Amino acid sequence: MSQKEKKSGIKRRDFLKIIGVAGGTAAVASSCSDPVEQIIPYVIPPENVIPGIPKFYSSTCRECSAGCGIIVKNREGRAIKVEGNPNSPISKGKTCAMGQASLQGLYNPDRVRSPFRYNNEVKRMEPVGWEAGLKELADRVSKLKSEGKGDKIVYLSNNISGTYGSLVKDWLKATGGGKHYMYETFSHEPIKKANEITFGKAEIPSYKIEEADYLLSFGADYLETWLSPVNNTAGFSKLKEVKDGKTGKIVHVEPRSSMTAASADKWVDIKPGTEQYLALGIANVIINKGWGKVSPGNVSAKVSSFTPKVVSELTEVKPELIEKIAKEFATNKSLAIGGGVANTASNATETHVAVNILNYICGNIGKTVDFSDTLSISNTSSYGEIKNLVDDMRAGNVELLIVHNVNPLFTLPSELNVREALANVGYIVSLSSFTDETSEHAKLVLPESSSFESWGDYQPRKSIISIVQPVMNQIFNTKSAGDILISSTKSNESLKDTFTENTYLEYLQSAWKKVGEYVEPRMRFDEFWEKALINGVVTVDQPEQIVTLSPKLDSIVFKPPVFSEDGDYYFITYPSYRFLDGRGANKPWLQELPEALTTSVWDSWVEVHPDTASKLGLKTGSFVKIESPLGSIETQVFVYEGIRPDTVAVPFGQGHKSYGRYAKDRGVNPLNILPSSFDDLSKGFAWLSTKVNLVKTGNEDLLVRTQYSLSQEDRRIAQAISLEKLSHNDDHHESHEEHPDFYPEKKYAKYRWAMNIDLNKCTGCGACVTACYAENNIPFVGKSEVAKRREMGWIRIERFFEKNEDGSLDTRFIPMLCQHCGNAPCEPVCPVYATYHNPEGLNGMVYNRCVGTRYCANNCIYKVRRFNWFEYKIPAPLNWQLNPDVTVRSKGVMEKCTFCVQRITYAKDLAKDENRLVKEGEFKTACEQVCPSDAIVFGNLIDEDSKVAKLSHDKRGYAVLEEINAKPGITYLKKVKQEKV
Amino acid sequence: MNTLIDPPKNPITYARVTEDVIRMLDKPSAKWWALFIPTLMFVGLGASCFIYQVTTGLGVAGYRHPVFWGVYITDFVFWVGIAHSGTLISAILFLFRARFRMSIYRIAEGMTVFAVLTAGLFPIIHLGRPWNFLWLIPYPNSRELWVNFKSPLVWDVFAVTTYLTVSSVFFLIGMIPDIAAVRDKVKETPRKIIYTILSFGWKGSNWEWLHYTRAYLFFAALATPLVLSVHSVVSWDFAMGNVPGWHTTIFPPYFVAGAIFSGLAMVITLTIPIRKIFSLEDYITLDNYDGMSKLIILTSCIVGYAYGTEFIMAWYSGSPYEWGQFVYRATGDYALFYWTMVICNCIVPIALWFKKVRRNIKALFIISILINVGMWFERFNIIVISLSHEFDPGAWGVYKISFVEAGITIGSFAWFFMFFLIFVKTLPSISIAEIKETLPVPKKGGH
Repeated sequence: MSQKEKKSGIKRRDFLKIIGVAGGTAAVASSCSDPVEQIIPYVIPPENVIPGIPKFYSSTCRECSAGCGIIVKNREGRAIKVEGNPNSPISKGKTCAMGQASLQGLYNPDRVRSPFRYNNEVKRMEPVGWEAGLKELADRVSKLKSEGKGDKIVYLSNNISGTYGSLVKDWLKATGGGKHYMYETFSHEPIKKANEITFGKAEIPSYKIEEADYLLSFGADYLETWLSPVNNTAGFSKLKEVKDGKTGKIVHVEPRSSMTAASADKWVDIKPGTEQYLALGIANVIINKGWGKVSPGNVSAKVSSFTPKVVSELTEVKPELIEKIAKEFATNKSLAIGGGVANTASNATETHVAVNILNYICGNIGKTVDFSDTLSISNTSSYGEIKNLVDDMRAGNVELLIVHNVNPLFTLPSELNVREALANVGYIVSLSSFTDETSEHAKLVLPESSSFESWGDYQPRKSIISIVQPVMNQIFNTKSAGDILISSTKSNESLKDTFTENTYLEYLQSAWKKVGEYVEPRMRFDEFWEKALINGVVTVDQPEQIVTLSPKLDSIVFKPPVFSEDGDYYFITYPSYRFLDGRGANKPWLQELPEALTTSVWDSWVEVHPDTASKLGLKTGSFVKIESPLGSIETQVFVYEGIRPDTVAVPFGQGHKSYGRYAKDRGVNPLNILPSSFDDLSKGFAWLSTKVNLVKTGNEDLLVRTQYSLSQEDRRIAQAISLEKLSHNDDHHESHEEHPDFYPEKKYAKYRWAMNIDLNKCTGCGACVTACYAENNIPFVGKSEVAKRREMGWIRIERFFEKNEDGSLDTRFIPMLCQHCGNAPCEPVCPVYATYHNPEGLNGMVYNRCVGTRYCANNCIYKVRRFNWFEYKIPAPLNWQLNPDVTVRSKGVMEKCTFCVQRITYAKDLAKDENRLVKEGEFKTACEQVCPSDAIVFGNLIDEDSKVAKLSHDKRGYAVLEEINAKPGITYLKKVKQEKV
Repeated sequence: MNTLIDPPKNPITYARVTEDVIRMLDKPSAKWWALFIPTLMFVGLGASCFIYQVTTGLGVAGYRHPVFWGVYITDFVFWVGIAHSGTLISAILFLFRARFRMSIYRIAEGMTVFAVLTAGLFPIIHLGRPWNFLWLIPYPNSRELWVNFKSPLVWDVFAVTTYLTVSSVFFLIGMIPDIAAVRDKVKETPRKIIYTILSFGWKGSNWEWLHYTRAYLFFAALATPLVLSVHSVVSWDFAMGNVPGWHTTIFPPYFVAGAIFSGLAMVITLTIPIRKIFSLEDYITLDNYDGMSKLIILTSCIVGYAYGTEFIMAWYSGSPYEWGQFVYRATGDYALFYWTMVICNCIVPIALWFKKVRRNIKALFIISILINVGMWFERFNIIVISLSHEFDPGAWGVYKISFVEAGITIGSFAWFFMFFLIFVKTLPSISIAEIKETLPVPKKGGH
């Protein structure tokens, strides 16, 4: 060796030196262009973690009261995606957009990262250690207790059924008998009260839409926020199933065509607040004609005066229509539901009584209305109770207020002056993870962990107990609310013995021991516990309930609604399916999710009928002042045909003055102009109680939306077929012409990935859009960029307003995403082969190769390609959510839907290990997985037995812009139109 | 036909021609600097805008979904169009022996080369990742990555580079005898050396002239198809796409006619001030303008006819997308631009039917500028309006120009004029040799 070295004339050491210097120089040179990212291996790898292999944990979504079971995907210790838990009877494996975006709550950059306490000396909040923070709480509590003021402690939380509720109860008992209020902004008191009046049960039953063929909804926005939207949508999907030329029918009664109304077969634009009369009118017809299935008894007398003619005058609904609905309702397997926050007027309880009567006389109680399995939201406090609490606070009767997961300052009408009431509270402790309007007033902030970081459970309805388990480590210095309460007692001598358990997990497990003994008496607890954690959900059978009419029904008088008669227009505010009561507003995915009907983002608006708009000289985008006796709000107009000319509507959820960078100072809060009035019987807040005036301000600006065209201009993008035509065979093959091709047809060996989208089921809810953002690392760009049409979503839900034959509004939704064309127009025009057709039918996109000529996007007939105009930065720790399987795109490259190619590859890898092909249903794309109405089906077209192959030959199947002959891989199924109602 | 040049009061002789042309190459005056320095500043503005765009992202331009091409491609097509008349005047008109070309063809050729140099910048400026523009050129590489020959953009690369090569060669070859003349007159060393090199040792012998005129004819014949092909290829950038308003067979002739139209207008715009500044009234005569104006009338008619045809075809096709597109052009968000185009390109040139106007320099100057404006909007309309209003109404949108795009566009004009200003001061802008061909041969031993 040494001989050789000498001969070569260069010593080994010198050679290494040169290599070292050269390599170093290269490294320095290369680092000039882009920062080099290092992959840092685990020094001591944690057990059970294989890099690259995800882990899945069952848990429960706590974004609203519905309590959907979810499965959280965890990669290398970070939660990266939420999906529905198929074991959960609520979610059935699906979630909504809010559920998808819940991870942005976990990783929100505006989360409170450690405890804070008000320092009296410097007059501001200062960070404090957990020990000191908890001691502060415990000392104050024990002082109050020793002074005998323990009952002046109030625990104000959202709806927390399950073990945590009993923990709060125990804690309050130990601390001197304070009160626990469960406050939900939308708690549906009138339903509860009406059930008490009609059936003697002050509870909210489960409504089984899936078992009905005919759904009559009096304003209930069941696809958006009403009770359990994901579950309702599953029912909707079942009802909308087209089989043998038949499908269910939905009639929606509401002054405004909401997203829910848009998916109904008939929208009845009733006069606001008069739904009760329509229900009674229908009942009247059913009873008179003897169509009812149950003997009406005393009910006949209640409805006898409401003949179709009388009702028609009161409601502005045509008598023929009333009779028609009555007939259809009585002769089908029907269900009537009522509610909808938007239509909750002063007579809301009466409306629900009328709806109950309808269900009762048609024998739906016990069939489609199930009182054996009532919802936990039944247990929340009514608005009346909350109002009394606020009055108590104002009067100085509350010494210590613990605020947990609620934001009353934002969600209660400003007439109630919660701000002043909060100022009179002795001491406010906030357990909120965010600095919202209410917790800004707290003197001690003990931030609770997110539901993704803590143990817990939730009982959405009697039969279901759903587990909440930590899916990753704490991100910040936070504690779960249960641990806060338990360890607070440990830090004070007098409270030390309150709990035998040291952590909330122990407390939870001891509660679950009882559940285990009841549900699985023969199973050991640890086995049961493990099974529960894996399943995520435990079901408890409920005894059947016999429901009869209550004598209280006799006392009911159907009063007309009361409005403050100052204005010209009924004022509706409706809960947004994106923000609910405003809690979603701090999540950029939800802010950037275009609202289904307006496609508006990042802002508020007011919906105004075209006639009203032209009368007042308003256009879409005009700023208008909405004035009520209590004040005014100013926002932009959206001219909307789907609202009555005498009504205007503003969505609820925006207008935060705090709550983080994404929510703050955006839009308006309609509660600023609503009076604190309520429905007399139920003490529920009357959301529909005001008439307002519109005052043109003269200012105008772009109302930022993602779609500016209203109609599809007869271009047959979103197609529909009448049920009549569908049941005959003549419509088929109308559009399936064979087009001659210049190039030979493409052949696929094993897979041709393809998709089916059923427009009859698509509700426009946008869950797929948000799921796609989450799965594919799609950046959000903010309002100013969306104003330039630069939103990055790979799926957009197009919304077109069409006209029915009778001139009524027909709203159509169509999700538009890369169609993975067999004959893709984008492919031949790319000069560098950055986009190409892969052997499995995917239209591939090579980001590295893209130079950014953007010709592909110009040539795409579906306009589904998105360009990275900038380097989009996602603020930490939001970027922890990024999916490691998907490239984060840099500026200057094109991107678009990949059919979740990372999931395809993962499934193919697994199949390859087992030496087989990927099986049908083995994996799902993110949009298919999430779709609450099962409108999206994905699969392999080569496999003749696959669902997607069968559906592609469906009678309703068509390709958008078929005449261009791009041979798209997506088959849409036409929306089914019922004959004129 | 041989009396195209008016009999001059101060008769043009061989000596005067050489003198007059070389006079233009004197040391730049203060006036020249007053033009040149602002031009450089605007080039700087364009360059800064481009640097800002590269570092920040293409988002600083006005692009928005669904309009992915905008002012940059408009500028590209505009400048390629301008580049056209140079070769047309020097090659095609040479073959047709149209003698009015003689005094202006050098300026037109210079314009061609500079316009291609300007146009060539835009495909790079408009890229999302301009640092990777080399990937558009098929060069052997270790990764065995190749360009997609199906893509019209690749054809474009070939068409434009070919055009640049041929027009530069034609430009330089045509200048050899003139440069030799300049070489003989110039005394200072650096200039002398440069002109010596560029004149390729030209002596003006009979033998040289014999071969030179032959070669020139062949080059003219070679360059002629390029006039048609380059803009046809550029038009395929659009015609090969399936965007309503782009996807039409009329595009190649329509684009070529438009290019000649705009190129002639640009020649008029450029020569009028030069003629005035350098007192070249005796060389660039009203007859020359008259001839060019007639060509403008012809091309204006072709362009106008194409506008009409587009409408009729859109209507006759029965395609809602095509018809929707053209109704949108005339009545939609960009109607102002559409009608500007129609007025500038079809209505204004009607004035040229009158001989008085054709021979009125002021009127011609205004008309030619209006035509340039109109032709810029034509390209803008084809590109932007078509993209704004495609198949899916759910994806319609309106484009707005940004200050960066405006800056780069202004910079591109400055870039073009910068070359042009250097050109008039360094190279003979009027062909000495060809002018002399038309003059009576001086008597032997006359001096």
